[in-house]
Amino acid sequence: MSTEPIQSSNKTLWELIAYQKKRYLFAIAAMIIGTISLLSVPYVFKVTLDSLTSGQADLKTTLIPAALIIVGLNVLHGIFTYFRGKLTAEASESIVRSLRHELYKHLERLPCVFHDKSDTGDLVQRCSSDVETLRVFLATQVVEIARVALFFLIAMPIMFSQDFRMSLLSLSLVPVIVLVAILFFRKVRGLFQKVDEAEGKLTTVLQENLTGIRVVRAFGRGEFEMEKFLKRNGEFRELEFQLFKILSVYWSISDFLVFTQLGIVLIGGGYWVMQNQITIGTWILFWWLMRTIIWPIRHIGRVLADTGKATVAIDRIQEILKEKIESVEEVSDAPVEGEIVVRNLTYSYKEKQPVLTDLSLTIKKGETVAFLGPPGSGKSTLVNLLVRLYDYEEGSIQIGGHELKQLNRDSVRNAFGMVLQDPFLYSKTVRENVVVGRSSAADHEVEESAHAADIHSNIVDFEHGYETAVGERGVTLSGGQRQRLAIARALLKEPEFLVLDDSLSAVDTKTEAHILRSLAKRRGKHTTILIAHRLSSTRLADRIFVFDHGKLIQNGSHDELLSVKGPYQKLWNIQSDLEEEIEQDLSGAKKS
Amino acid sequence: MNQEWNDDDLEQKVDLRLWKKLLQYTLKYRKTGTTFLFVAFGLAICDLCFPLITGNLISEIEEKGGNVDFAPYLWMYGCATFFLCIFIYGFILCAGKIRTHVSYDIRKDAFQQLQELSFSFYDTKPVGWLMARLTSDCNRLSNILAWGVMDFIWGMMLMATISTFMLIYNWKLALTILSVIPVLFVISVYFRKKILTTSRLVRKANSKLTASYNESILGVRTTKVFVRNEENLRDFDTLAEGMQNHSVHNAILSAVYLPIVLTLGSVAIAVILAQGGHYVTLGALSVGEVVMFIYYAQMFFAPVQELSAWFAELQMAQASAERVLSLIESEPEVRDTEKVLAKIAESGNDGHTAEIGRIEFEDVEFQYRSGPTIIEKMNLVIEAGQSIALVGATGGGKSTLVNLLCRFYEPTGGRILFDGIDYRERSLTWLQSNLGIVLQQPHLFSGRISDNIRYGKLEATQEEIEEASHLAGAHEFIMNLDHGYDTEVGEGGIQLSLGEKQLVSFARAVLKQPKLMVMDEATSSIDTETEKKIQKGLEKVLKGRTSIVIAHRLSTIRSADRILVIEKGKIMEQGTHSALIKAGGKYHDLYTEQSMRDIVRIDTVMGS
Repeated sequence: MSTEPIQSSNKTLWELIAYQKKRYLFAIAAMIIGTISLLSVPYVFKVTLDSLTSGQADLKTTLIPAALIIVGLNVLHGIFTYFRGKLTAEASESIVRSLRHELYKHLERLPCVFHDKSDTGDLVQRCSSDVETLRVFLATQVVEIARVALFFLIAMPIMFSQDFRMSLLSLSLVPVIVLVAILFFRKVRGLFQKVDEAEGKLTTVLQENLTGIRVVRAFGRGEFEMEKFLKRNGEFRELEFQLFKILSVYWSISDFLVFTQLGIVLIGGGYWVMQNQITIGTWILFWWLMRTIIWPIRHIGRVLADTGKATVAIDRIQEILKEKIESVEEVSDAPVEGEIVVRNLTYSYKEKQPVLTDLSLTIKKGETVAFLGPPGSGKSTLVNLLVRLYDYEEGSIQIGGHELKQLNRDSVRNAFGMVLQDPFLYSKTVRENVVVGRSSAADHEVEESAHAADIHSNIVDFEHGYETAVGERGVTLSGGQRQRLAIARALLKEPEFLVLDDSLSAVDTKTEAHILRSLAKRRGKHTTILIAHRLSSTRLADRIFVFDHGKLIQNGSHDELLSVKGPYQKLWNIQSDLEEEIEQDLSGAKKS
Repeated sequence: MNQEWNDDDLEQKVDLRLWKKLLQYTLKYRKTGTTFLFVAFGLAICDLCFPLITGNLISEIEEKGGNVDFAPYLWMYGCATFFLCIFIYGFILCAGKIRTHVSYDIRKDAFQQLQELSFSFYDTKPVGWLMARLTSDCNRLSNILAWGVMDFIWGMMLMATISTFMLIYNWKLALTILSVIPVLFVISVYFRKKILTTSRLVRKANSKLTASYNESILGVRTTKVFVRNEENLRDFDTLAEGMQNHSVHNAILSAVYLPIVLTLGSVAIAVILAQGGHYVTLGALSVGEVVMFIYYAQMFFAPVQELSAWFAELQMAQASAERVLSLIESEPEVRDTEKVLAKIAESGNDGHTAEIGRIEFEDVEFQYRSGPTIIEKMNLVIEAGQSIALVGATGGGKSTLVNLLCRFYEPTGGRILFDGIDYRERSLTWLQSNLGIVLQQPHLFSGRISDNIRYGKLEATQEEIEEASHLAGAHEFIMNLDHGYDTEVGEGGIQLSLGEKQLVSFARAVLKQPKLMVMDEATSSIDTETEKKIQKGLEKVLKGRTSIVIAHRLSTIRSADRILVIEKGKIMEQGTHSALIKAGGKYHDLYTEQSMRDIVRIDTVMGS
């Protein structure tokens, strides 16, 4: 029995269970055999006790065989309980695993438009706690409900075949017990939730305090914080205690009902025995059967009250799976390369004002260009459109004469080496993070690109060099180091198109100069787009595009732009003024 | 997230000394405890009654046939049921009370301790680790200290009363039942431990999966750009497979354990049926008594299982107990001395002036634990009202110097004097109430912006808050937010950019109107234009105050009264901007190199 992938996205609970039909069916079969074995034990008792009271019993012919049968039945029950447990675990875990797989795959394939509008915490919660709710439901709650149902389904024929009136008497309070259980747990569900929330609040206060401990200390706010914490701590204690109070009432009442039901069987049965309507054996049979099947009912109230949660959980999971993923175009034989031609491109994120309006530009193969402009002027949007993180509707983008929209998304992305504005590193080793650029790269190539990005010397200073883990359990990298590592991996990729989206903002001047030299060396090797905030980067560019409000307002080489009146010239002058001021400062100091 | 930090849990020998200390938390609730003893005893007696009533009724009917008076049985059964329910109510109430109160107390003690522990403690313990101590460890311990202790008392009482009764009634049958108990206990402990271990593995695998989802979402752009979906999915599948294996293994262990326990129990019952039945045929016992003994045998299994479960948990929770106790018992490195505490108790303060005057470093040395020396024999005098700028490469000791000054750490050699008095002879509260600190990585608390600024002065009015924001150059951006000062900043201030957070934390320090202002690269992420505005406010704020500024920006540095160039834990150069430039030393080099960094950012010029 293998793990089948869940294909279609819209699944109800039952359809999910149906994926593991076989295992569940076998589990039910095992459970039926197990339950029959277990519930046969009281019957063996009845027969033995009857033969004892009638004086026909003796050790060898009745008692020892009866004892052996009892043990045998229990062993049988044990074996089938084991099979039931194994099968349901395998079934539920398989379902959950394919669901997890599906969710992960789907999340990675969902377009950026989706990720922009969704909250990471919420998504992660759906993937973890909602899946967990579902898992608990499939692994234990379904089984628990089935077990109790089977208890009654199998016990009732046994009981009714023995004595009709006695059966009615034995079951008289059962509906009440079930009803009380369900009503109770439905009622306290709110309280359970409140307790969870109170605990959550307590944890938040704690986390805030610990992460901000330096501020707390610096402002001497220990007492204030203690008060805040004690308030939450106290609220949690009170709510939890309240829950215990209510639970103590419930368990006490339900115990009362259960013991009353057993008492009815005991006294009522005794009365009929006295009147010779049933035998002592039958009496004990009823009493024993009831003792076996009545206890789990009290818990079933909780289980039934909780099943609602599983339905909510699956709905929340479905909401993700129903979202449309990025389109997949056919892979063409022609490589993605050549000139980038943008014509009359207009783009807006979700009904907002257009970020790009009627933009046209051409970037030649092998050219190095710089995009300048204030934030929100559309520079990043344009490169994001180029790598197909977003899809444009109006206008056209062509690469090597092919319309971008018709090219396979992955092929396009493979042709680009992109350093994002806020580079992301995986919680893996440094090497693994660089090798993301090209998994086939040799060690010396990894180091070369690290050199080019001026990060090599930092890496070898780490305790485990390239094998150092990045992230919470390893080193924490500074913003500049992260940017440089991201540059290294883009360089390692040796892409057709290299894009640096404001990737030098957190590095110091020396490092910046080093990286720009590395890029200069590679000039012509790839088409390079630099989005920059400092003029230093623009000197490298063959051509400079100046953006403002989604439009191209200037373009040309450094010298061309410098010679005409406009924003570029203005920028350059401010910079020169500043440098001059510093010069004066330095020389003035020397003179005086 | 908390489970991640529990991976050092291993089965350990139970250290009774440790648990004795922890047991004090339970023993604090003497009244509830005494009530509980009574309740548990009552419960055991009630439990004892049911088989007795049942057995006697059967025996009497068996003997007398048609002439049994049911009234006494009805009465007895009714009473036993009634009291049982009362006692069960009491049992859960007492255990619940102790459970919730003990966990409250442990958490409170641990939190209090955390508020006093020094920064050197926090340097070695990640927040996640500490969180786990106060959440999962606390829960675990309070469960043991409440439910565990209570189940132990109840179980012992029940088993003691039942075995005494059975031994007196029929010692042969009693011994049959009792002989199964040790086997049951040993097997139960064995399986419980295994189950605990695997469920821990499941939790760990689960938190890895969650982290993986988190990463896949946060890194989705990178993943797309580098077309990493397939590889990531493969990595994820490996994790998911591990999770599946652990979960199935865990479930299978339970599926083996319970049947074994039940089967063992059935052996006892079967033997009693045969043995007791044999006595019945010999006329030595009635059928009712056989049923009674079987009933008793069944009653034994529940407490044995409970006790073995707690015993296993006790062994597994040893590490939790150690960690929590060591946290509660650890000594803060920086604290008020006995002498200072005595003075405060006597007169309400430490007996010195509240002002901050001349600050003096006298041969100050510092090293973290056994690490390398970070500050070497530093001598420095800061006059009241002076502004000092610290410059130099990262790792040179600038931040350490500031931390020492704020007494977040104490010097490992030499002294720091305030108006000629070693600050260790003064109270922490005095220094803290005079300090205003703005850190490079500003921390905001979740809540409104106004709440965050108010942290500087809890009783501040809205006007004072706005005034402080004006001075800090934060007012403008705050007013541009949807809800102005009432805007929620989110956890850790996530809704704001780094620059905005720096402005808010600056306003917070300004509101405090501290005598000593410390700023550690406090404006590194603020654009040039805002920086200019702050500069003006800063001059007003710092007027008449002593200030120490670690900065990268030339504009900030240039205006300082004195600049210290710090490298390798030493003051290499000091003086005013012009004097240092003239000297042509390290500062001169730094300046020429740094000047490049200050180049106007394109967006500030073009965006306006």
